[in-house]
Amino acid sequence: MKSFKYTLLIAISALFVACAAPVDRSIVPMPASAPSIQLGDYSSFTLDNGLKVIVVQNNKLPRVSYQLTVDRDPIFEGDKAGYVSMAGDLLKKGTATKSKAEIDQAVDFIGADLSTYSSGAYGAALTKHTDALLELMADVVLNPAFPQEELDKLKKQTISGLASATTDANSISDNISNAMCYGLDHPYGEPQTEKSTEAITRDDLLAYYNTFFRPNISYLTIVGDITPEAAKAQAEKYFGAWKQAEVPSMSYEKPAIPDGNKVCFAPLSGAVQSVINVTFPVDLKPGENDAIAASVMNSVLGGGVFGGRLMQNLREDKAFTYGARSSMSPDPVCGSFSAYASVRNEVTDSSIVEFLYEIDRLASEPIEDSTLQFIKNNMTGSFARSLESPQTIARFALNIERYGLPKDYYASYLTKLEAVTKEDVLRVARKFLRPENAYITVVGNKDEVAEKLERFSYDGKVKFLDIYGRDYVDLAPAPEGMTGKDVVLNYVKAIGGVDALAKVKSTSMSGEMDMGQVINITQKTKDNSMMSLEMSMGGMVVMKQVFDGKAGVVSQMGQQMPMGEDEIAQMKKQSDLLYEAKLDDYGTTSELKGIGTFDDKAAYVVEMTEQDGSLSTVYFSVETGLKVYETSTESTPQGDMTIATTYKEYMDVKGVKFPNVISQTVGPQSFVITYKDIQVNPKLKNSDFSVN
Amino acid sequence: MKTRNLFVVLSMLIGTSAIGQLKTIEFEEYDLKNGLHVILHEDHSTPIVAVTVMYHVGSKNENPERTGMAHFFEHLLFEGSENIGRGEFSRYVENAGGVLNANTSNDRTFYYEVLPSNQLELGMWLESERMLHAKVANEGIETQREVVKEEKRQRVDNQPYGSLLSETMSRAYTEHPYQWPVIGSMEHLNAAQEADFIDFYKTFYVPNNAVLSIAGDINIEETKKLIKKYFSGIPRGTQEIPRPDIIEPAKTAEVRDTILGKDQLPMIVQAYNIPAQGTEEYYAVDMLNQVLSGGESSRLNRAVVDEKELALFAGAFSFGLEDPGVTLAFSLANMGVAPEEVEAAMNEEVERLKTELISDEELQKLKNQIESNFVTANASMAGIAESLANYHMYFGEANLINTEINRYLAVTKEEIMDAAKKYYTENNRVVLYFMYDESLESSN
Repeated sequence: MKSFKYTLLIAISALFVACAAPVDRSIVPMPASAPSIQLGDYSSFTLDNGLKVIVVQNNKLPRVSYQLTVDRDPIFEGDKAGYVSMAGDLLKKGTATKSKAEIDQAVDFIGADLSTYSSGAYGAALTKHTDALLELMADVVLNPAFPQEELDKLKKQTISGLASATTDANSISDNISNAMCYGLDHPYGEPQTEKSTEAITRDDLLAYYNTFFRPNISYLTIVGDITPEAAKAQAEKYFGAWKQAEVPSMSYEKPAIPDGNKVCFAPLSGAVQSVINVTFPVDLKPGENDAIAASVMNSVLGGGVFGGRLMQNLREDKAFTYGARSSMSPDPVCGSFSAYASVRNEVTDSSIVEFLYEIDRLASEPIEDSTLQFIKNNMTGSFARSLESPQTIARFALNIERYGLPKDYYASYLTKLEAVTKEDVLRVARKFLRPENAYITVVGNKDEVAEKLERFSYDGKVKFLDIYGRDYVDLAPAPEGMTGKDVVLNYVKAIGGVDALAKVKSTSMSGEMDMGQVINITQKTKDNSMMSLEMSMGGMVVMKQVFDGKAGVVSQMGQQMPMGEDEIAQMKKQSDLLYEAKLDDYGTTSELKGIGTFDDKAAYVVEMTEQDGSLSTVYFSVETGLKVYETSTESTPQGDMTIATTYKEYMDVKGVKFPNVISQTVGPQSFVITYKDIQVNPKLKNSDFSVN
Repeated sequence: MKTRNLFVVLSMLIGTSAIGQLKTIEFEEYDLKNGLHVILHEDHSTPIVAVTVMYHVGSKNENPERTGMAHFFEHLLFEGSENIGRGEFSRYVENAGGVLNANTSNDRTFYYEVLPSNQLELGMWLESERMLHAKVANEGIETQREVVKEEKRQRVDNQPYGSLLSETMSRAYTEHPYQWPVIGSMEHLNAAQEADFIDFYKTFYVPNNAVLSIAGDINIEETKKLIKKYFSGIPRGTQEIPRPDIIEPAKTAEVRDTILGKDQLPMIVQAYNIPAQGTEEYYAVDMLNQVLSGGESSRLNRAVVDEKELALFAGAFSFGLEDPGVTLAFSLANMGVAPEEVEAAMNEEVERLKTELISDEELQKLKNQIESNFVTANASMAGIAESLANYHMYFGEANLINTEINRYLAVTKEEIMDAAKKYYTENNRVVLYFMYDESLESSN
């Protein structure tokens, strides 16, 4: 019986193996080994005119995308900075045979996408519509007309965009960080200003296009439902006639590394937060050996994941900021490192201490194994998910060709990522990070913040910069004995004087604002006490303000709101042409702060304080006496916002000067109003200002 | 968790459900012994995988005294399980480099993770934990009650015309459970006890009421082994699954009402009861809506907005549902325009469709639009997994992902006219004017 028992035992244990083998659900499954990506082989060939074509056949969807990349060296644009990107934008706005409207219509008809930019163009459509698409794409690339009126429109839009950036701390931070990191005489460091934009002409665009838009330095990346043969036929048919020419190449000096840490500060009046960026140039080219380890290193510090050290330290632990991150950007000319956050004024110095501590720690101690695994998992995931977009695949193929990377560079990316060790991370941190040779750029409140930052500079000094990263020129002292009131009264004289102003009984001004759609604006005043403002779009009134001298009403989208006390006080000032002549009556005081510059011209800077305590800073041209610029801070539900207004092109109407162009930026938005018709003493009735 | 807006969910079900006949989406499907239906789609083009579970429970399965339960579970089932601590569900996914979310409709609830494909097993573990023994207990219930209330405030109460759908559906249906909103009643949720939640979980969140749909960079055989490991041990549900068999009686007279609220401009809504999704007539109705509101050149937009300038916006879409649904036409009137005038212009366009066939050219445009939608849909693994699960759950035919487009393309001009004549009638509709409540001014 012994043997039977034994058999039974075997049978029972086998039964356990077969049936029970219960899952131990308390064990979290481990990831399998990193998969490699099947990017599919791509083919590449070169047309007779030198255009290199990359084809990634992917028949998943019956759709094809075409990306044209003009691989030129970066261009230093100098006093016309901005013309290169404008040339790109204008490609699509008219060709030898088609207007902008015709191009738009044709693209929409086939449900395609088409966009152009300074270094190329992108188009995508269903397979069966690709010929129609390519006809349009080749036309905009080969035969652009650069219509003058489209250029004028674009310049106007660009200038208002720049105006809105003058009070945007993040744009200023980008400007000054690039200026410091690369230098003002480097393509990556030079700023585009209103002045440089104004200087751009159609000839500049043509010259850029004719010199650089050449097939022999360009790549056409074709991705999607198409065979390499068909792609070749299309490339030849549509881009074969594109003429080659010699294209100049340019090289730039390597940016200098500072002797030690240097604080560079751009003052932004009234700022309640400081935008900090710890930055320095990095010699890291796309796809080079250490690029992946450098990317892991950056992720540990603050690239992408919430669990990054900067985020954990500055936000989770100290609550200095909503978010602190870092970036490590490879570039064929010159790469850069940045670690950045917006922090409240009083912790600006403490935050810099933590930034430097974390950068230094990464370059001196190995990271934990668990951190390394967490970062690898996260990078694996986001890399993989990014591939669902065909654009990612196109970018990879292009990078391989453009930077001469191994053909399997991206296909084996995850395996290479998996192979990164913590020793690698420490090594690249030591190689690339410079916690003792960094630019510490800060945009913020000079009075409250700047002095406390001196200790971070190796020479104990803070370098002050303007919004473009040029040396900051502090206000020059005003002439002895001159007061704010003098400047304001001088302005009253400049716009016509009290006598001429007193003869104005009513005004009517109508103008336009181009916000994609044209918005018409009509403003009227009467007897220096009544006013109305109406905005309409396509004949429909979208907003109306009326003030009868005592009460006012705002109606917007069918909603009517009576004005509150504060608004009424503002309305009284706005409806009075003689406001500046009667500041005392209104309880407004003025203080002359000195002579600064606006738009590179000297201007008196006057701080005005109204009866309710609200402050504004007004710039009056030294040369003409006219008001050119004004900023004030308003509290809104979104927090404090700076409102900046620019006054231009003063025009004389019956002895009184009115600005013809007013541009205003409020937070991230900007508006430009151009007046078409300004009348003095038109016949207006009191009932025009009735609030009922 | 975010609940996708119903409009979006349903328009996606309609608009993005299948791909052109050119590219077939291959898949394999089978049932486990416990009743779990499995659909697997293998696609190695990207090293990711979407692990999804669709439960056949939506607001229509709820007890009329406990509405909002299905949507509530969309939140609750992220609270953890016997082996997953509170708040850890999403952490596991994010640490793995993945993303997760869920959505609920009148008919079903959908949970998903998109993960790197080497984390497939993690996704299986998470979803099987949720199905086997999710933590349905007071602590999580209390937290999620507050979250759902915030969600309702943000997405319904504080949204312009946020009550549009609930006001419409509560009149379009007198008997059928589609009459109450997916987000349900906060009073009902407050009144529900822990035992109610446990009972709901045991009734609906069982393998025999679910579809496990996995799409992406998988090996089918290995995936099947993992499915066996994690899901085969989950017991079949023992309770009967309530499925309403209520048939909404045909309308005999127009229902017309005015709803006062805080939104300034009048909104005009017409809701016509239509056949269930998947029926031949449903496709004709859907094409009819495309005539009315597919793009800038569509009829409602051209007539009511561009030419007559009566409205800021005019549109129409089908609210296709498992049981007979509704189709909505609506306009947001310009300031100072009487809603009656807008409605008359809308009716004029509908009447024209009953008397004149659309042109060949217009039909071709519709077909091009439909084709373009089908082609660009299903570009993502999560989308494919969801569509396959939907088609199986609603029609028992996952392959509609490849073939449904033919049902649209087969619709004729005459069928579009017939649909207009049969369903777009006065007696078959609810008409609501959402108007500004003047008394709000005096009470301010």
